[in-house]
Amino acid sequence: VAHTPTDEIAQRINLVHREALQLVVLIAIAVAAFFLTRAVAANNRNLSLRDGSEWYARGQQALRAGKVDDAIGSFRRATVRNRDERRYTLALAHALQIKGDTEGARAALVALRESSPEDAEINLQLARLAAQRQDVTEALRYYHNALYAPWPLEQTAARRQVRFELIQFLLTHQQTSRALSELLALSSDLPDNVDLRVEVAQLFARAGDDRHALDQYELALRVAPDNGASLAGAGLAAFQLSDYPLARTYLLRANGNDQNVRATAELVDLILANDPLANRIGATARARRLASNFSYVQQRLGQCVERRANTEPTDEERDLQRDAQDFEEELDSPAIREQDTVEAGVDLIARIERHLVQACLPDTLLDRALIRIGELHGATAR
Amino acid sequence: VTTVLPPPQRLRLRENQLFLVLTIVIGVLAGLAAVLFTVAIDQTSHRLFGLGPSRYRLFLVPPLVSIVTGVLLARLFPDVRGSGVPQTEAAYHLGGGVIPAHVPIGKFITGVLCIGSGHSMGREGPSVQIGAGLASVIGRWFQLSPDRVRDLVPVGAAGALAAAFNTPVAAVLFALEEIIGDMNAGLLGSTVVASVAAVIVERSILGNEPLFHVPTYRLVHPAELVAYAALGLVGGIVSLLFCKGLLATRAVFLRLPRGTRFIQPAIGGLIIGGLLLYSPAIMGVGYEYVDQALNGGLVLKTMTILCFLKLGATIISYASGNAGGIFAPSLYIGAMAGGAVGMVVHRVVPFPTGDVGAYALVGMGTLFAGIIRAPMTSVFMIFEITQDYQILVPLMVANMLSFAISRRYQPVPVYHALLLQDHVHLPSPSTQGAPATVTARQMMHTDVVLIPPDASIAHAWERSRENDAAAYLIGTTSHLSGFVTRERLAESMAAGTGSQPVNSLLNGAIVHVHPDHPLEVVLERFAQSPDILPVVSRSEARRVEGIITPDSIMNFIHQRTRSVRTGSSNDTSAAGQRR
Repeated sequence: VAHTPTDEIAQRINLVHREALQLVVLIAIAVAAFFLTRAVAANNRNLSLRDGSEWYARGQQALRAGKVDDAIGSFRRATVRNRDERRYTLALAHALQIKGDTEGARAALVALRESSPEDAEINLQLARLAAQRQDVTEALRYYHNALYAPWPLEQTAARRQVRFELIQFLLTHQQTSRALSELLALSSDLPDNVDLRVEVAQLFARAGDDRHALDQYELALRVAPDNGASLAGAGLAAFQLSDYPLARTYLLRANGNDQNVRATAELVDLILANDPLANRIGATARARRLASNFSYVQQRLGQCVERRANTEPTDEERDLQRDAQDFEEELDSPAIREQDTVEAGVDLIARIERHLVQACLPDTLLDRALIRIGELHGATAR
Repeated sequence: VTTVLPPPQRLRLRENQLFLVLTIVIGVLAGLAAVLFTVAIDQTSHRLFGLGPSRYRLFLVPPLVSIVTGVLLARLFPDVRGSGVPQTEAAYHLGGGVIPAHVPIGKFITGVLCIGSGHSMGREGPSVQIGAGLASVIGRWFQLSPDRVRDLVPVGAAGALAAAFNTPVAAVLFALEEIIGDMNAGLLGSTVVASVAAVIVERSILGNEPLFHVPTYRLVHPAELVAYAALGLVGGIVSLLFCKGLLATRAVFLRLPRGTRFIQPAIGGLIIGGLLLYSPAIMGVGYEYVDQALNGGLVLKTMTILCFLKLGATIISYASGNAGGIFAPSLYIGAMAGGAVGMVVHRVVPFPTGDVGAYALVGMGTLFAGIIRAPMTSVFMIFEITQDYQILVPLMVANMLSFAISRRYQPVPVYHALLLQDHVHLPSPSTQGAPATVTARQMMHTDVVLIPPDASIAHAWERSRENDAAAYLIGTTSHLSGFVTRERLAESMAAGTGSQPVNSLLNGAIVHVHPDHPLEVVLERFAQSPDILPVVSRSEARRVEGIITPDSIMNFIHQRTRSVRTGSSNDTSAAGQRR
C-alpha cells in the first residue's frame, strides 16, 4: 500500500491520541477503583473490629462462667479480627494461664511483645509467667522491662506495685541483695503513706535489713504516731538491732494482742531487768544481777547434768563446769565489783546458756534473755 | 515522492513503552481486584454466617448458595470453575493470552459466593485468573500485538497473587515457575514491576500487616533436620493423597451426565454443610486456624483431624465444580500436618526441638511444594512470611523430599492433570523450547474420515474393505472416541457380532500427537500406534485436526526431498550464473 508521508503522520497522530485517551481512561478507572476498594476495605475493617469486640465480650463472659476453653476460643477469634488490640491478646494469655497452658500464654505474649517491646503490661505478664516457671533470670528481665517501660503519670501506684511484686519474688527466691537494691529504690520514692512505709519496712525486715526497716517504721510513725503496726514493727526491728530500751518504748505502745509482740516485750523486759552491764546502775546492782543470773545458769546446768545422768558429760560441759566453779569463787570476792569480772561473768553465762539450749534443755524466756545480754555485750565474738 | 509504509504495527514504535506503562497499571488494577475479592469474601461470609452461626445455617448455607453458583457456572460462566490457575496457564500457552472479559467478572462473582458460603477453597487461584483476565482484556483493548497480549497474562497473575498473599517475590516466582513454566523467561522485569505495584496498592489499603503472625523460629538442634525430613516425607504422602483424591473424585463428577453440571456444586455444598456441622474450622479459606497452628494454639488431635477434614472438604468442593483455589487449602493442610508432626517430634525425640509452630510453617511449604509443585515459590513464600533465614534450611530439606515423592508417584502436576481431565494438553517444556523445523502439522492429512461411534461393526467392516488400512478412527471430528484395528473387526465379524455398535470394540488409550509436536515425537508415537496417529487440538484434545498415516509420512518425505533437490538445483544455477 502506498501512502504519502502526510498520511503516515496523520495515522501516527490518531494512534497516539487514541492510546493517550485510553490510558487516561484506564488510569481514571484505576483511581476510582482504588477509592472504592479503600472504602469497602475500611468498612470491612470496621466490621472486623466490631466482631473482635464482640468475641472479646463473649470470651470475658465465658471466663466469668468458668468456661475457659470457650473463652480461649473467643479470645483467639478476637485477636485474629483485631491484631492491634493488645487487650485481646492479654486476655487470651490470661485465659491460657488459667487453663494451665503457660507455654501457650507465653507464646501469645511474646508475639504481642514483638510489636510493642516496651509495653509495661505485656512485660509484666511475661514476668509473672516466668515467675510461675521459677525462671528467675527471665522473670527479672521482664520485671525490669515492665518497671522501666514508659508508665503514664496516673499509674505510678501500679508501677510501685510491680516493684513490690518483684521484691516479693526476689525474696522468695533468696535473691536478698537484689531485693534490697529494689527496696532502696522503692523507699526513696515513697509518698507519706503509712501503709506503704509499713509494707516497705516489713520487706526490709524480711530481707534482714533491720536498720532500714526501723527507719521506715519511724517515718511511718511520724505520719501516724499511734499506728499499731508501725509501733510493733519498730519495736521488733529495734529488738533485732539489740536496742532494747527503744524496743521497749515501741513495744509498750504497740497493740498487746499480738502474741509475738507480747512475747518480745516480755523478753525485752527481762533483758533490761537482768543486764548486769546496763547503764545507769550501780556496782551493787550489777553484782546482784550477775549473781542472780549465775545462780540461774548453775541451776540449769545442774538440771542438765541430772537429765543426762547415765551419760558421761562432754568435754565442753566439763570445761563449762570447771569455768563455772572458778567463777563462783570470784562472786564472793571484791573483784566482782570490777567491770572486767562482770563482763567475764556475762560472757560465761551466755556460753553456758547457749550450750544448754543447743544440747540439753528447752529454752525459757530467761534463757533467751541471758543469751541476748551476752550477745549485746559482745559475748558472741569470743 | 511515494513511501511504502509497513503494516500498522510498525507505526507503534512506542509499544515497549506502552507495555511498561500498562504493566504498572495492570499491577495496580490486579492488586485492587485481589483486595476487593478478599474483602468481598469476608463480607459475604459474615453476612451469610454471622458471628456464631447456628447448626441450621452451617448445614444449609453451602448447598443453597451453591444452587445459585451452580446455575451461574453452568449457564453464564462455564470456564471459571475451579482454581483459575490451570485456565490461566491454558490461556497463556494455547489461547495466545486471550481471556474473555466475562471470565474475570464471572470468577469474581462465583468465587465470592463459593468461598464466602463456606466451601473449603482458596482465594489466590481465582485472584490469579481475575488478574490475568484483566490484563488480557486491557491488552486487547489497547490493540497490542498478540505476543504482547500473551505476555500480559503472567504480569496480571503476578500482580493479583502478590496482593492476595502479600508476598511479592513469591508471586513473581509463581508466575515464572507455574504460569510460564520457565524460570528464565524474559518477563521477569514486567512481573516484578506489576507485583511491586500491586503490593504497594494492597499495603496502602490494608496496611503492612503480614498474612500470618509468626514468632521467630530457629533450628534448635542439628539433628532436628532429621525430624524436618520426616515432615517432608509426611508432606509428600499427604500431597499425594490430596492430588490422587482430587483427581479421582473429580473424574467421578465429570462422568456424571452433562445436564447435572448445574446441580453438582450443590451436591458438594450439601457434603460441605455436613462437614461444617462437625467442624466449622474447615470453612472457607481458613487462615484463622493456620494462624493458630503457627502460634501453637492447637493440640495434636485437633490438628490431625483438621488436616484430614480439610483435605476431604477441599476435594469435595473443588471436584464438584465450585469456583475456588487449592492454594490456601494446601497451606492449611500443610500447617495442620506440620504442627501434628512437630508435636509428635516433641514427645518422641531425645534432643531439644523447635516450637510446634516452626513445624507448622515448614509443613505449609512442604504441602505447597508437593501439591502445587512450585518448590522455589514455596521456599520464597515462607521466607517472605517469616522474613527469617533460619527456617530456610529445614524448609528446603522438607520441601525437596515432599516434591520428590509427589513427582515420583504423581508424575503429572495437579494443575496439568486437571487440564488433562478437561482434555486440554499443555505443551511440555521441551515443546515450548526452540520451535521445531518439522512439526506434526506439516506431516498430517486434514481430510480425516471417521467411522461414526453408533455405526455397527458390520458397517465398519464394509468401510474397511474399501481400503486396506490397519486401523480406523471412531467418532466425529469434534469428538474422537478411539480407534479400532482391522484385525479386531475381522474377529468380531467371524464371531457373529456384526450388528453391535463399533463403540464396543474401542481400545482404551488413544495414542495421539498435537500439531506443534516435533518430528521426533511424531515418529516415536507413530511407532506405538496401529499405523494411524490422530493429530488433536491442545485446547480440546478430543477435536481431530488431522491424521498421520504411513502414506502421509511418505508424502512428506517425498515433498521434502523434492524441495531440497529444487533448492539445490536453484543454488547450483545461481552459482553458475555468478560464475
